[in-house]
Amino acid sequence: MTFAQEKTRILTVDDSPSMRALLKHALTAEGFHVDQADDGVSALDWLKENECDVVITDINMPRMDGFGLIEHLRKGAIHENRPILVLTTEASEEKKAQARRAGATGWIVKPFDAVKLAAAVRRVTH
Amino acid sequence: MLMEAIDFSKHKRVRLMVMQGQARVSGDPRLELTTVLGSCIACCLYDASNNIGGMNHFLLASPSNDDGLDEHYGVYLMEVLINEMLAYGADRRMLRAHLYGGANMSSGMSWIGTANAEFAHSFLKAEGIPLVSQSVGGPSARRVDFRPYHGQARCRIVDNSQAPKDLPTPKLREDHGDIELF
Repeated sequence: MTFAQEKTRILTVDDSPSMRALLKHALTAEGFHVDQADDGVSALDWLKENECDVVITDINMPRMDGFGLIEHLRKGAIHENRPILVLTTEASEEKKAQARRAGATGWIVKPFDAVKLAAAVRRVTH
Repeated sequence: MLMEAIDFSKHKRVRLMVMQGQARVSGDPRLELTTVLGSCIACCLYDASNNIGGMNHFLLASPSNDDGLDEHYGVYLMEVLINEMLAYGADRRMLRAHLYGGANMSSGMSWIGTANAEFAHSFLKAEGIPLVSQSVGGPSARRVDFRPYHGQARCRIVDNSQAPKDLPTPKLREDHGDIELF
C-alpha cells in the first residue's frame, strides 16, 4: 500500500472574482489543490500561515500589485526559490522585463489555456 | 486599445467605432465611442469621479461554436477593459456600467443573445460593479453611442440589417498561453 501522492498546492492571486473562479475550476480539474488571494497584501498574509508549491499572480491589483508581491517574496529566504508565474493581460515587453527583474519565474499572457497552464505548473515544480 | 496616438486637438468631436473583440478607453471629452450590436454585448464602464470611460464589444458564442459559451473569452475582454480603465487612472471602486445588446434576432440562434446578456450580468455582479442602465434582449439590433468622459450612453433600436455579422468567438492562437520561463 502506498501513500496517495500529495497534490501540488497553488496559490492564485487575482483581484477579479470571475478570473479567480475560472482559475480554480481549471486548475482543480487538472488535479491541483488551489488556494486564492485577491491581491498582493492578501497573498502575503496567507503565506504567513500557509504554504504552497507555486504562486500564480496577476499584475494589476489594488493595494499591492504583482510586481510588489514578487519583490516581497524574493526578499525572504523562505520564498527565494519558490516558482512564481505571472498570468496577465499585459503583453508589453517592458512589463515582462519588469517581472523578470522582480524575480518572476515565468510569464503567461491571458487568456490562458488550462492544459498549457497546468503543464507550466508541472514544469516549474518538478 | 489605448488612445494616445490620436490627435484630438484638431477635432471638436471624434467618433470611434468599437468592433467585435475590441475594448477602447478614453478620458477625452471630445470622444464618442459607437457600436452596432446584434447578439453581441457592449459593456460601457465609467468612473465619473475621474472622467474615464470605456466600451468593449464581445460575443461569447456563435452557431458554429458547438462548445457553447466560452466565458473565458468574455472574462478576458472584461478584464482588458477594466485594466485599461485603471491604466488611465480610473478607481475600480467607482466603476459603473451600462449594458447593451444581447438581441435574439433569428430563431435559429435564439439562445445566444440571452446567454451573452446573462454572462454580462453575472460578471458585473461577481465583480461588484453597479449596473446603472441597460437595454438587452428582444429581437432588434441596437446602436450605442457612449461618451466616456461624461459616462453618458445613448441606445437606439435600428434595423436588423445594420447589425454587423456576428463573428465566431476567436479560438486561442496556437501559441497563446505558452509559458515563457525566465
